[in-house]
Formats: sequence, structure tokens, C-alpha cells
Amino acid sequence: MADMTEMSLKDRLEESVKRYQQTGHYQGITRLELKETEPFRYEKVYSELRGALVSARETALHISASPIVRNIGELCFAFYTPEGDSVAVSTGIITHVHTMSEAIKFMIRQGYETNPGIKEGDIFCNNDPDLGNVHTTDVHTIIPIFWEGQLMGWAGGVAHQVDIGASTPGHDPVATANRFEDGFYVTAEKIGENHEVRKDFKIRAQRSVRTPLYWDLDEKCRIAGIYMVRDAVHRIIREEGFSYFQQFMLEAVEEGRQIFMARIQERLVPGIYQTASFMDAPYKGKAWHPEQNHDFMMHAPMTITIDAEGHFKLDMDGASGPGPFPFNASEGSMQGALWVQITQTLVYDGKVNDGSYLAAQHYFPPGSWCNPGNALLAYGTPWAYLIPAFTGMFRLLSRGYFARGYREEIVSGYGFTGDPTQGGGTLSNGAYFPVSNFELCAVGLGARGTMDGLDAAYAMWNPEADMGDAEVWETVESGLLYLSRRFKPDTAGYGRFRGGSGWESLRLVHGVKDLQLYSWREGRVFHGGAGLFGGYPGATGYRLFVKNTKFYEMVAQHQPYPLGDPDPAARELDTGLGGDCFVSRDALILPQPFQSGDVWLSLFSGGPGYGDPLERPAEDVVRDAEGNFYLPKTVERVFGVALGVDDQGQFSVQPDETDRLRRDILAEREKMSVPYQEFWERERQKILQKQLIEPVKRMYQESMTLSPQWSEKFKSFWSLPKTFAFELDNL
Amino acid sequence: MAQTVPRILAIDAGGTMTDTFVVDEAGAFTIGKAQTTPNNEAEGLLRSFDDALHYWNIDRTSAAPHLGAVVYSGTSMLNRLLERRGDGPIGVIVTAGMEDYFRMERAVQTYAGYPFSDRLHVVTHVHNEPLVPRRYVKGVRERISFFGEEVVPLYDNEVRSAVHSLLQMGARAICINFLYSYRDPRHESEAMAIAQDVLREQGSDIPIYLSSRSNPVRGDLARLNTLVVEVYAARPSRQQLFNIRDRLKEEGSSAPVRVLASYGGTVSPDVEWLVTTLISGPIGGILGARRLADTYQFENVVCTDVGGTSFDVGLITERELLTRTEPTVARFLLTLPTLAMDSIGAGTGTLVRIDPAVKRVTLGPDSAGYRLGVCYEPGGVSVPSITDCDLVLGYINPDYFLGGEVKVDRDRALAAIDEQIARPLGSDPFSAAEGVVRLLETQMRDHLYGMVLGLGYSPENYRLLGYGGGGPLHVAGYTQGLEFQDILVPSWAAAFSAFGGACADYAYRYDRSIDLLITTDAGAREMVAQSLNLAWQDLHDRIADEFLRDGLNPDGMSFVPSVRMQYMGMLDDIEVRAVWPMDAGEGLTDLVKRFDTLFAKIFARSARSPEAGYFVTKAIGVGILPTEKPVLPAFAVGDAKADPSADKGRRQLFWRGEWHTARLWEMEKLRSGNEIIGPAVIEAPATTLLVPPGHTALLDQYRVFHLMNG
Repeated sequence: MADMTEMSLKDRLEESVKRYQQTGHYQGITRLELKETEPFRYEKVYSELRGALVSARETALHISASPIVRNIGELCFAFYTPEGDSVAVSTGIITHVHTMSEAIKFMIRQGYETNPGIKEGDIFCNNDPDLGNVHTTDVHTIIPIFWEGQLMGWAGGVAHQVDIGASTPGHDPVATANRFEDGFYVTAEKIGENHEVRKDFKIRAQRSVRTPLYWDLDEKCRIAGIYMVRDAVHRIIREEGFSYFQQFMLEAVEEGRQIFMARIQERLVPGIYQTASFMDAPYKGKAWHPEQNHDFMMHAPMTITIDAEGHFKLDMDGASGPGPFPFNASEGSMQGALWVQITQTLVYDGKVNDGSYLAAQHYFPPGSWCNPGNALLAYGTPWAYLIPAFTGMFRLLSRGYFARGYREEIVSGYGFTGDPTQGGGTLSNGAYFPVSNFELCAVGLGARGTMDGLDAAYAMWNPEADMGDAEVWETVESGLLYLSRRFKPDTAGYGRFRGGSGWESLRLVHGVKDLQLYSWREGRVFHGGAGLFGGYPGATGYRLFVKNTKFYEMVAQHQPYPLGDPDPAARELDTGLGGDCFVSRDALILPQPFQSGDVWLSLFSGGPGYGDPLERPAEDVVRDAEGNFYLPKTVERVFGVALGVDDQGQFSVQPDETDRLRRDILAEREKMSVPYQEFWERERQKILQKQLIEPVKRMYQESMTLSPQWSEKFKSFWSLPKTFAFELDNL
Repeated sequence: MAQTVPRILAIDAGGTMTDTFVVDEAGAFTIGKAQTTPNNEAEGLLRSFDDALHYWNIDRTSAAPHLGAVVYSGTSMLNRLLERRGDGPIGVIVTAGMEDYFRMERAVQTYAGYPFSDRLHVVTHVHNEPLVPRRYVKGVRERISFFGEEVVPLYDNEVRSAVHSLLQMGARAICINFLYSYRDPRHESEAMAIAQDVLREQGSDIPIYLSSRSNPVRGDLARLNTLVVEVYAARPSRQQLFNIRDRLKEEGSSAPVRVLASYGGTVSPDVEWLVTTLISGPIGGILGARRLADTYQFENVVCTDVGGTSFDVGLITERELLTRTEPTVARFLLTLPTLAMDSIGAGTGTLVRIDPAVKRVTLGPDSAGYRLGVCYEPGGVSVPSITDCDLVLGYINPDYFLGGEVKVDRDRALAAIDEQIARPLGSDPFSAAEGVVRLLETQMRDHLYGMVLGLGYSPENYRLLGYGGGGPLHVAGYTQGLEFQDILVPSWAAAFSAFGGACADYAYRYDRSIDLLITTDAGAREMVAQSLNLAWQDLHDRIADEFLRDGLNPDGMSFVPSVRMQYMGMLDDIEVRAVWPMDAGEGLTDLVKRFDTLFAKIFARSARSPEAGYFVTKAIGVGILPTEKPVLPAFAVGDAKADPSADKGRRQLFWRGEWHTARLWEMEKLRSGNEIIGPAVIEAPATTLLVPPGHTALLDQYRVFHLMNG
């Protein structure tokens, strides 16, 4: 093969793509020579490189100011080949490892090598979702690494900002309708030379966000980390020799690809796996823009095809359209999400690099919400659509694990890391404080194939989840005090193994001159579709806050005030605080003003369940009730367990009554069941007569318009006329 | 020998073995080992003491009266916590609404201590079994804000009813932890007074503990964890420590018994908060290293401890030890000042496997532990360990494991490595075993190298000290290619932690969150200086009380004031020495300068951010009373050539792909000045020092080996 080092970067990248297309192997490497001849040396070098990335992250974490980076660990570093393929990554938000890869490739393809030039000491920055990023609030800092004058790789670091200067404060906006409201954009820009960030850029950046101190410290944190990575790479080259290292990089990526395929072969059964997920975006009556004033729904059909050689393809043909909201997901963000799921389920112990990304083929239909290809759209909060969409992948892989006998690998899905309380306000002393809460980085994990899900401890985009201490959040959000932080009953999906429980935080607005808050989550759909194998999904969210309360009068008189909303059917927050209680099944809310004494509830999702809840051992259900994971009425109605209570308030099982209840539920189910043909016909009539609510019709019509192929499938499945379409005035 | 007068007894009571390190007036030492007796630690300790003394031909009753210092370190508290054998039920009262602390934890506790792969592999994450069941956690309405403002008054009726119901449920102690109590403890104090009333009414005398008293620092979960671990795991050990003191007294000792604390001082078993002694074993090693550094006048030392399950690294930088304030111990976040040690799960017991799907070697994370490996048939391990590899490669003497007390079978190890590692890789068993050892040593090397780099230094700035059961065996491997100034292995490496304990100061430490901003404003600076001085005065008085309780005169105490500080906005603070009393002018300016310098060293110069001011998070006080410590005797330095009596013969060893004939030496019989040229193996009952081809080991006047390349 031709030596690529003499080529321009652009040619090298094209050559690399060509070689992969022609051979199916990264850079055309069919044999892992280094690994085969000296396996231990090869593993040693990989271990050194990965160790350097992990320790760069551990050190850099301490420099950041934001609890999101420091306490929640929203920071990640990676090392790339000259063509921009990741070789190794640190821990942290590894969603981003591939996103930076796309940014590097963009710079190469745009000819940055000649203008603005790529030389030693240069520093680049990117946060443009159209170039592979997830949303503007994730900021990348990238440097080229040289050895004896030759560009031999890149180091990149990404951290999640507290505020990115969007039209509303926070990191996941909801009110935005287009790019120009997304906040501060840095589109693969050279921001520094001679190892120093340019002063004019620093000034511009700090004046473009609401929290300049955080911007500054997070940038320092990324830069400190990427230089540690560069130094480590130089050290390894000094020890192993330049040519060894060059060959090593390529083999490591190719091996990453091979490991992925070997895992697929080992763990899954070849075939076609299909599912779909949904999400609501109820803007009607809330929107700030006329074009946004509709109720939207997201459709995420997902097909995974696996063949006997271990090839894997994820296809989202049939996805609905983008829109005038910030939930549009660039292709890069979808690739990132695919990546993070792969690393949590299949290649956690392999070479976590772009090799597995290469092996996982994917199709995100152009023009759909998951690959709009339109830089003018808003991309502030793609997570709102992307998180529900990817629950499908957990479900599909779990079916494969089940079929292959890997019960212990099964996870039925995950809770929605939604409801990020955001906004900003001024304290009575005039000081600005951001509200950029990230305690949502700890929701319920779905039930596992051998045990319950993990309560309040999972985030799909960061396997190292954490909710942070209340005392740390209040240090920053000092006008928003915790009145409680508790498990929320009935949020865990029902099942033989229950989902990990969700939870809620009740916050008191206190000591502020002004404050605006907003948030989003799913409210009217089950974000992840169903549970697994008869399990139920976790509960959906809703919105609740109380304004003009009598809180201060109450506490002056030591009157008990409500501590949350454990049972919405016996709600205390509506009357218990006086004032005006706002409750809506729409969990999405645009920025609203709040004042001292107001109370705000955040709801964090539980995970779906696994298996029929009637098969859950009654003793486990009693423990669930004791632990407030389920209300007693749910225990009875869903799990069919009759509870006894002693004078101490301790629950016990009433076995005979439980048997009867469970038999009754089974009988009830039998009564309600109909032959499939009957069910199909009933649903078909609804479709034929278009008896669907507007957002559902809109969603399907978008899918049908964007993909004639999917449209055909839909029509053929439901035996619809060839001309069938959902007509809507404002599609 | 008859004149030997034992002065110091240092004890390291591990989970399986209790090591004793006994030092005489001249600094000569002897090492004893005996099995740990968890139900009555004094027994195992005395047996270990006997074992040490028998080398000197004296018995315990004639030795004990001479003792001037007894220092204990051990893992019993930690094991009690790990094995959930603590005291209870404990009642907990928290701010209303926060009752789920122990069940929700923080997600970091669900993967704490996991290796890289399992941190990613989420299906493996699990919650800790709560130390306090949910129904024993009661919430009472109250709120203090971050600024110390009372937002919700304490609902006294709720405190009463919480205490009533905890008593009814049989709680044996009550812990109280309210949000921001470190900022303003008034609600905790009020709650305590109310609780005491209720207890009186009910005729109960169970103890009440406040987080604002035990550790008034930010971090609500970690602060509560620390308070509860104190009651659950630490306090039940107090009786054990008293037993040890009583038993030694019966033997005629009048020396006070001191316990090693995680911040590196030693304290009386009567100390108010015993949880500070939760982590003591690995701390001993660093203190021993500091003692050596003082003796040799070294500025920077990397301390490396290779045990059966872990590799612990600590750093002495410019004679200073770094302290962390929020360690994770046994998967619990704690607010416990602890000498910085970073561990990875790589030790001599680490198990080795091949991933069948991708033909890759994986190390651990599990370990054979005391069961050693396949070589030790009674251990019942079927997967090869690092010890098996060491044995196959000829590094370990199968007939001299723990002085020959444990029989290990090299052929069993060889067969297992051949079948499970070598054949799947298409390799021979010896190359495979060496590859595995190299991979382990690379992980160790990366770990310590990352720590040195993380401090902004490079190995050229440091000397490296290797100890622990496996340190002398692997130190040549895990330092390869790193240009340390010197590599040192003490001949007492196996009992180095116990030795280190004996080197610790008699010292109490208290931390307090204060959160003060240093700007250029003169009035604000005056306030900062005043607040610091008040805080140090208070810490000083608390420490003086501790010494008074120990029956000692605090007048002789030296008080070391320091602060933890950070750039305004950052979340991580570092510890900086201070001067007390502090003045608002030059005093604060000097403090800021010291911080700037230290920060640039630890992180990156470019990350310095003085623009928004400096934030002092904590005032810290350490009070030290002088105590007897071991002296390191200097022996006359003799010939480079070892005495023939030390010669144990020859053995084949495999190194870098080739067989070499190594000379074997008995460590005990080597003398200061001897130079052992590799390939060689120097053996002692509890330690094996590998001197690879091309290396030389020089024994110096303090009986410390210097391992040199070439």
C-alpha cells in the first residue's frame, strides 16, 4: 500500500475512506501484525495510551468550575489518528468521542491544512451540531499533535457548559426555533496559536455566554487535559519508536472493529430486530414562535440487522421530520448516541474507539429529525428526541442476548434523563445565578434479565452517572432550595424484575429578585415504548409548580408543608401550600417567571420492567411497598399482591388473598383479550378513518412523506389503499 | 542479645495476618507474624509480638515494661464495614424530604472501585446495602441556606416524635445531619437538646451524634456517611482497642497505645471521632517512606506498595504529603482527611484470563488473595494468578514461600498457564507468563507515572520506594524505562506499613468549612483574617482538649494551621500551610502566593484563574505532641562481596524471553556494602527481591537496597 505520510491530509482522509470501502478493513489492514507478533507489547502500548487519557481527565476535572463537569463528570478526552479516527478514549461523556472525530474530518475536508493552516501549537474549537456535535452546549477543544514536524494525530477534549448564551439561560433550551437562538456558535474555528488561546476569542466567548467564569475555567480544563494527552503520546513514541506507534494506531482502530464484530457474533443471534419509540413535544398554546405553535410527536422506528459474520446495521428509516424546536438531532449526535450504547453493552472491555463505530453501520434518513441536514434549524436539545429513540437499541440487543442465553446482559431500557430544571435569576444582593441542574444524571435503569433495575443511578449518555450533593447544587443555584429529594412511588416500570425507581426533587424559590425556570420531559407518551417480555414502562412525567404560596406564613407557625407529590391521586401540593397550583400532563414548559416562596417539582424517570409483574415474588413486592417504590393500591392492582399491615405499619403478604387476586387479574386479562385479527381490524379502522389525534397524524404523515419505502410498509401492513395519506392543514 | 531493650511496638493487624515491628533503643528491629484473631485482636497481636521477640530470645513479660510507644494500625473497622457486621440499629434524623440518602446514595457509589470496563458496563452497577434501613431514617422540617440563613425554623415537635419513634424501634444511637449544618449548626444543636429531653423522659441514655460536630464540612451525603460509619463501624472497635491497651498493661507495659489515623497522625483510642482511624494500613507505608526521606534528605519520593489485591501509590513531594478530604472508602463517599493514595486492582493475586471471543489477555479485576493461585492446591483456585506466573518464571522459590511454611507447586502453576493462557495465544507458557507479568507491571507503571505527571513533575524529580509483599519482586519491572533518581527497597519491606505506623506523630487534626472570599478589598480581607484566626483558635482548643483527656499537657503541643483554598468558581480545593495568627495584609498575600505556586504545580500553570479572587473553603488545624519514634541505625559499610554463608545456590529464571542462571542469596546474611549483581534473587521469609540481568542491588548502611540498572 502507498505510504500516506507524503499526502495532504485531505487526500489521506479520502484514501482511508477508499481503503475501508474496498477492503472492509480500516485503512485496508487485514492482518494485525503487531498484535500477532508481540501481543503483550501491543496491549501494553494501548494500556499506556488509555491510561494517559483517563489520568488527563482525572486531573483536568479539578480545574473546572461547573458542578456539571466536576461533580457529574461531563468531560471526556480522546486521541485521534491524523485522519480523525479515535484510537482511545477516557471515561466520561463518551458520546462525544465520535463527535470530535466528525469535527476533525470537517476541518480536513474543508482544506484547513492550507487555510487557516494546521500547525504545531494551534488550538481549534467546535460546538456546531451540524459538524458532528450534539448541541452547542458541548464545547470541543482540539489540537493537532506533531512529531518531528509531521502531524501524527489529534487530541480532543469536550465539556458540557452550564450556559451557552442561548436565547434563554441554561444548557438544554426549549423555547428556541432556529439556529440563531441556539446561543454562541463556534464552527471549527482556530482559536489559538503557539499553544495559547487568542485573546480576542477569549473576550468574544466570555461575552457571549451568561457565565463567563465557567466558560473560562472549562476551557482551561480542556486545554490542560489535551496537553497531557499530547505529552503522553510523545512519551510513548519516544519509548516505542515513531513507526511502531503509527502502525499501532491503525491496528488499534482495526482491532476495535474486529472486536466489535466478534462480540456481535458471540452475544447475539443473526436476524432482523425491530421496534419503535416515541416522544411528545406539546408546544401548542405555549410556543413563542407562530411556526412552533403545534403539538408535535417524534417517531423513531429502529431496525437492527445482524448477520452470521457479525455485521451490524442500525436503520432508522421511517423517522418523522424535524421541526421549529430545539429537539432536532444532527447525524453526529445520533452517531454519538449509537456509540455510547455500544460501549455500555458490547465493547466495554475492548478497544473503545472508532473501530467499533466503523463496524456499526447505520442509516439515519436524511431530512428526518435524526439527520435534518439543515444548519438553520435549532439543535439546542437533541437529547429530548435522541434519548427515547435509543431505548429501542437496548430492547433489541436484549432480545438477542436472551436468544443467545446471555440473561445477565439483558437491560430492558432506561429512564428518561429529562426534566433538567433550568433558567437563571438574580439574588436579592443583585448577584446572577445560573440554574443548570444536572441531578437528572441519575435516573432509573431498566430491569435487568436477572435482577431489578438500578434505582436513581443511570444516564444513557454517561455510564458514570451521579446526581451530585444537594449542598453542591445549592452552592451554585443559591436561590433554589431543596425541600426534598426522594424516591417517587410508581415510577419504576412494573415487572417480574422491576425497573430502577425514579425520584423527585421539590425546590423552594427563595431570596431572589427575579428568576425564570423551564424544563422538558415526556408527558403524554411512554418515552421508551414498552417494557420487555411483559414488563411495563416506567411512569411518564408531568409538570407541577405552585405560585403565590403561603410557605413563609406556614413555616413561621411550624405548620407542616408538603414534601413532594408521592401520590398524585391524594395530592397535597395543590392545596397544602395555598397559592396557585399549576399541573399539566405536558411535562414541557417554556421559561416562566417565579418569585420567592414559589415551589417547583422536578420528576426523574424510572426504568421499564422485565417480565410479567404477576410473576414477581410476593415478598419482593412487599419490600417494594415498604420502600415506597409502589403505593399499596398499585401493589394490589398491578402485582396482584394482598398486603397485610400490622400496628407498626409493617407490611406482610396475605397468601390466599394474593392467589385469588392474581387469578382474578389473569381472568380479567383473558376477558379483555381478543384474537389478533380482531385487534388488527379495529386498529386498521381507526387508521382508515383517520381517527387519530393531530400530532399522531402529523408524525405518521412526516414518516410517510420522508420515506416512500416506509410508507409502503405501513400501508401494506394495515392493508391501506395505495393513495392513503393523513391530510392535515398545517403539515 | 540479652541487653536488647524493646522500646517501640508497632502493629499492623490485617485481615489474615498481624505483623508486629519491634524496635530497640539502638534502632535494631525484629519482625513478628501471627494469624489475626478478629474476635479478640489482642490475642493475635501478643502472639505476633512473641514471634518477633523470639528472634531476640526475650519473652513478652520482660519486654513489655520497657516499651515507650505502642502504635496500632489495622483493617478491623474497614472489614466490619465491608462485611456489614456493624453496630445497630442506628437512628438517623435528617432534613425533612431527604430520608432516602442511603437508598439513593449517589450513583458514584454504585460503581466506585470498578475497573474501567465495568464502569462502562452498566449492567454491573449495584447499590450498596444501606447501613441504616429506611424506616430508621426520620425527616424533620428545618432549612438553613447556603448563606447560613434560617429559611425554615426547626420543627421541634417533629424532632420529638422522631426521637420517640426511633427509641420505640430500638435505636441504639441517633445521628443527626441537616443540610448546611456545617455553615450554621444551630438546628442540629437545638435538635440534640430536644432529643436529650426525650431521652431523659424515657429513661434512655443512647448517644446522640451531630455531623456539625464530627465533620463540619460541605457535602451532605458524604458527611452523613462519615457520621454513620463512625457509629456503625468505628465505635465498636473502641472496645477492641481498649482490650489491647489492657492486655499490654497486664504484661507490664505503661506505654500509651496510639492508633494510626488516615491523615497520618496517631491518636488515643479515646479520641472523640474514631472514624479518622478507618483507613490506616496503607497510610503506614507512606509515613515510613517519609521517615526514610527525612533520613536520606530526599525531597520527592514515590511510595509504591504491592499487595495481593492492590497496588497503592502515594507521593511525597517537596517533603510534603498530599491530603484528600473526600475519599471513597468501601464504596462510601466520606469526608475524611486522608493521605492521598491511589490504588488500582493489580496485585500478586490478580487472576489472568483470555477472552475467548477476541483472544485478549485480561487481568483481574478479581484476585486469588490469600489463596495465592493455582500453585497452592488447598486454596482451590483454578485460574492462574500473577504469583503462578512469578513461580513459573523462577522468580519465587517454591520451597521458601513464607519461609517454607506454605508449600506451593510450580508444576500445577505451569500446567494451568500453559492450558489457559499460552495455548489459546499460540505461545509457550514461559513467554506467556512473562507477557502477563509485563502487562501487569505496565499497568502499575502507567498508574504511578500518571500520578507523578498529574502533579506536574516527571520521574527524574523523584526517588521510588518499593515495599509490600510483592514490591521487591516487581519493582524492577514497573519502573522500567522511567528515569527515577534511585529505586529503594528496604530489607523490612514486608512489615514496612507497621514500621511506618511507628514513625507517625502523636497528632490530632480537625477540619472546618468556612467559605471565605479573598479579594483586594481591605475590609473583606480583615474579615477573612479574623474568621480564620477564630476558627484556628477553636480548632486549637478542641485539640488541646483531646490531649488533656489523654492525660497529657497540651502546652508542649505544636499547632500547625493550614487552609484549603481554590480559585473562586472552581470546585476543588488544595491544602496550603498558613501562619497563625494571620494578618490581613502580607499574611494573606503570602498565603495566596503559596496557593498559586502549589496550584500551578498540581494542575497546569495555564489553568490559574486569580481574576475572580480566591476562595478559602476550610480552616484546618493539626496539633502535635512529641513522641518516641524509631531511629534508623547506620551499620558499618563493608565489602561489596557478600559472605559465602549468604549464598543459597542457583536457579533458572526467565527474563525478557531468555533463560538465565540466577544466583540466590539469603537476605538476612547480606551485610551493608554488599553488591548483588543480577541475575539474582535475594530471599527472606516474607520477601523476595528480584535483581534482573543487567541490574545490581546495593545494600546500604540502613539495610536498604538500591536497585540500579547496570
